[in-house]
Amino acid sequence: MLFKDQVDFVRQHIKKNKLRVFMTILAATMGCAFLIVLASIGFGIQDTMRNEILQDQAITEVEVYPKENEELNLEEIKSVPYIGAIVQRTSMDVMTSFHLDDRSISGNLQLTDMKEEEQSNLKLSEGRLPQNNSEIVVGYHFAQNLWTDTERAKVEEGVEEADLPKGYEKSIIGKKVSLSLQSYDADTTFPEQWHFTVVGVVDNPAKDWIVDQSILMDKSWLPELTGVYEANAEQIPEKFTYATTKIYTSSLEHVKSVTKDLKDMGYNVYSVSEQLEQIDVFFMAFKIGLIFVGTIAILISSIGIFNTMTMAVTERTREIGVMKAIGASPKLIQRLFLMESAWIGIIGTVLAVIISYAVSFLANWLLPMVVGAALGEDGLQDLSITFSLIPWQLVVLASAISIGVAMISGWRPARKATKIDVIQALRQEL
Amino acid sequence: MIQVKQVDHTFLIGKKGKEKKVPVLKGLSFEVKQGEIVAIVGKSGSGKSTLLHTIAGFMSPEQGSITVNGQETANLNETERAAFRLNNFGFIFQNFQLMPGLTAIENVELPLKLKGISPKQRKASVQQMMDKVGLTEVGDHYPNELSGGQQQRVSIARALITNPPILFADEPTGSLDSETEQDILLLIQNLNQTLGVTFVMITHDAEVASIAHRTFKMHDGELVKGDVR
Ligand SMILES: Nc1ncnc2c1ncn2[C@@H]1O[C@H](COP(=O)(O)OP(=O)(O)O)[C@@H](O)[C@H]1O
Ligand SMILES: [Mg+2]
Repeated sequence: MLFKDQVDFVRQHIKKNKLRVFMTILAATMGCAFLIVLASIGFGIQDTMRNEILQDQAITEVEVYPKENEELNLEEIKSVPYIGAIVQRTSMDVMTSFHLDDRSISGNLQLTDMKEEEQSNLKLSEGRLPQNNSEIVVGYHFAQNLWTDTERAKVEEGVEEADLPKGYEKSIIGKKVSLSLQSYDADTTFPEQWHFTVVGVVDNPAKDWIVDQSILMDKSWLPELTGVYEANAEQIPEKFTYATTKIYTSSLEHVKSVTKDLKDMGYNVYSVSEQLEQIDVFFMAFKIGLIFVGTIAILISSIGIFNTMTMAVTERTREIGVMKAIGASPKLIQRLFLMESAWIGIIGTVLAVIISYAVSFLANWLLPMVVGAALGEDGLQDLSITFSLIPWQLVVLASAISIGVAMISGWRPARKATKIDVIQALRQEL
Repeated sequence: MIQVKQVDHTFLIGKKGKEKKVPVLKGLSFEVKQGEIVAIVGKSGSGKSTLLHTIAGFMSPEQGSITVNGQETANLNETERAAFRLNNFGFIFQNFQLMPGLTAIENVELPLKLKGISPKQRKASVQQMMDKVGLTEVGDHYPNELSGGQQQRVSIARALITNPPILFADEPTGSLDSETEQDILLLIQNLNQTLGVTFVMITHDAEVASIAHRTFKMHDGELVKGDVR
């Protein structure tokens, strides 16, 4: 039998029982769409979380800490392949006051190597990196938190967020600021003063809630600053400088190997790849769970296919008998019935994929609004949360499960059709 | 063309454990030559249909050998038997056995579809066959829109469309009135003469047997009288 004739044959039979076939397809569609939409939530939330992480920090960044009471061996770390930059920032346990005219700020002073900062691709919102040690770069919120004493007093009394002082509103680039130090337990600043020119402002941090009022200064100042501290402070703690070391790999794909190498050296390491890996492992389990639950829905709908096909075979017993009598092979008869159940599965799956994309689209559009309204906040739309994501792999997997299950449930009825006894079938009354 | 040698068959009837043996075919032997019309007559229940079913390969006899065109049918598996039937046999049934969902033309076309013949070639030969059996006018009718005689003509056309060398007919006129019966018998005779098709006909009706070249009489699973003429 030509393939086209087989298709015609199947179509003719489906036409004869439109309603029954339609209901069966509906069940198959619902099962498959349920699977896709359910699993898409796993994919969506995973995607949201991954994006959150990738956005929040430089993705090539690897934080490395020494084991307790030990120091980092920078020379050893440098030998690790694919390292682009090693940025070690040192801060001191001391209040650092920066003054500009009548404004001041107690900033977070970080002493660092500007060459390495440059290599790590430190992003600035304006200006440039320092070229000599009298130049500094300040954090994004440095200027807006440069307050006068009256402003500060007002803030300490308590003001609404909208009424917060605007700080220094002109461009801070090129301005000279002075620095003085003060112990946390003392009332007055140390007499020494230094002057610096602001040449750059660091880019806005990715997380909205981070307030960056740091100051990046060349590390050549460290001995002088610690000397002043030691000369003036009443009590000198054993350790008052702290270094954090961040390593930047030459590209994202090397984060994993660098992380591993550093771990093997015995350091404590923290990187995006670690975090991503943990998230991926968690979501893999989560998605498998969702797909499993969704597959149960498909299995339930397959009962419908089984029933429909069994009825179709029973109804057509006499016709099948005649077909066999005039020379249709059992293989052909089996194939015709398998094609019918496959057709139900395929149409059901195609409809399910279309519906799933529509549901997914609607969910991503509506849910942020609904949730926002329920929580009484309206900023949620801007958060770009993906509730549901349908990657092509999910479509392929769900289609394979759905069509596969449809054919398996059509298998027994089709076998039954091939087993029909010609003589018995011909004896059936018209 | 067809050789039947020492064919035995026994049915088991009744409840499990209390079956009764019913011998239906008892050492049957006969031969059908090419181009013949052979009639097998006998009372209802004498085993005629069972004999035909064994020759057609719908069932296998317990014992004995049946060869058709030199092919021992017992040696074929199910799929091979189906193909063998498609190429060598045509069937005419008492109650026509047409597909209710297909028109007359589509019913006649069915064996050609099974053979994988292209639609173009099918169309031409189906039209020719419809003319030959006198159904030119009613090709687009469904079986339930046709009279008994017309339905039997459709069934004859379907049986002949693949040009099989052998046609089996089980009570071909059993459901028809005597006037229509006469028409169908004439058609069979005519097709036998023009196409040279071998007919093996089962009937309990002497009228029908009258067109046969040879008649075998069956009684209780045995041939009591061969070669009436
Ligand atoms: N499948 C079967 N199981 C048991 N007995 C059967 C079966 N088919 C036929 N018989 C019996 O075999 C005998 C012959 O039947 P059949 O060949 O149909 O006779 P005929 O066609 O001559 O009327 C009958 O007694 C019938 O009851
Ligand atoms: Mg009979």
